Amino acid sequence: MTTRAANFESDYLAVWEIVSVVSSFLIAEWVVLAFVGSSKSILAVPIALALALMLISHRERVETIREIGFRLDNFLSASRSLLLPTLGAVLVIVAVAWTLNQNLIAAPWRNRFLLLPVWALAQQYALNGFINRRAQLVMGKGWQSVLVVALIFGLLHLPNPLLSLLTFAGGLIWAFVYQRHANLFALALSHSIISITIALVVSSKWLDSLRVGFKFFG
Amino acid sequence: MLTPNRKLVNVLIGKSIIETLLVGALAVVAFIMVFPPHFHGWGEVTDQAIAGWAVNNVEPYQRVPVQLFINGEFVAAAVADLSRPDVSAAGWARDPWHGYMFRLPSLPAGQHEARIYATHDSRDGNRKSLQLLGNPLTFTIEEVPPVNGN
Repeated sequence: MTTRAANFESDYLAVWEIVSVVSSFLIAEWVVLAFVGSSKSILAVPIALALALMLISHRERVETIREIGFRLDNFLSASRSLLLPTLGAVLVIVAVAWTLNQNLIAAPWRNRFLLLPVWALAQQYALNGFINRRAQLVMGKGWQSVLVVALIFGLLHLPNPLLSLLTFAGGLIWAFVYQRHANLFALALSHSIISITIALVVSSKWLDSLRVGFKFFG
Repeated sequence: MLTPNRKLVNVLIGKSIIETLLVGALAVVAFIMVFPPHFHGWGEVTDQAIAGWAVNNVEPYQRVPVQLFINGEFVAAAVADLSRPDVSAAGWARDPWHGYMFRLPSLPAGQHEARIYATHDSRDGNRKSLQLLGNPLTFTIEEVPPVNGN
């Protein structure tokens, strides 16, 4: 096989991998929730399949945990890159919420917010540790692959309009920073701070209680 | 990073097949839960009423709730619990208490269509579905001539 043909096959496979993982999430959000409600056991099937694919793909492509972004050596440099965008996002969210609600706290603290860092890390792993890396295989580093990652992140939060918009914006920042400093812990920290801010200060009526997929409809 | 081998392709194909089967199975199971295919029944139009029978084959002693629609509009609801020994004698039910009867409401002269539906609850009553029993019943109401000839 020539190098060109091998590259084409690799690109083709990377696109297929992205589509496959995104399909699994869409099946979980839309098909499973529509047909069987919030049955955790069936919901776990497409998620487990996506996770299995991502893990096998990392192994087959000989990617290390460190390359994927589970590392600490570049945590500070990644955090520095994320500091201004994260603070900016928090200030904008607080300012908009204050203008709309005339009240700083729109929702009470919930203990489940403590799990947000874990949830954020899982999302950042799928979004950047996998999708961003595969998008870079096809389009290379730069605005094209960053845009694709952000669009996918927004797509996965449809049909919630405001949440899709916010996740698209967040996806742009996180994908951009990941391409410079591949550190998932820093991304998860930024993701958690912004998510908790949104959950606390933005009225649930604006974000429809953060529901996405079929669940959005009630 | 190395060029992936064929194993990754096989994994992608296998995952696609499993997800296709999962979505298909969910669709079929959800359909059967919402529209179970085990309701049977029949109806006919008499001079004053629409009468028939309804049986749930999975729960043969259940008295099936039924609803009458005429020309697409809801008219009445009832439970099919009247005696119909002919139904059990013909082997359609295990006991005779599966009959229903709706008195015909006053209708304008002309042709009308009646449909009898079995109603079914699913997902703890969050959903209620209607399933047609037998065929739509077409009938005609004759114009009544004026008594005084005007």
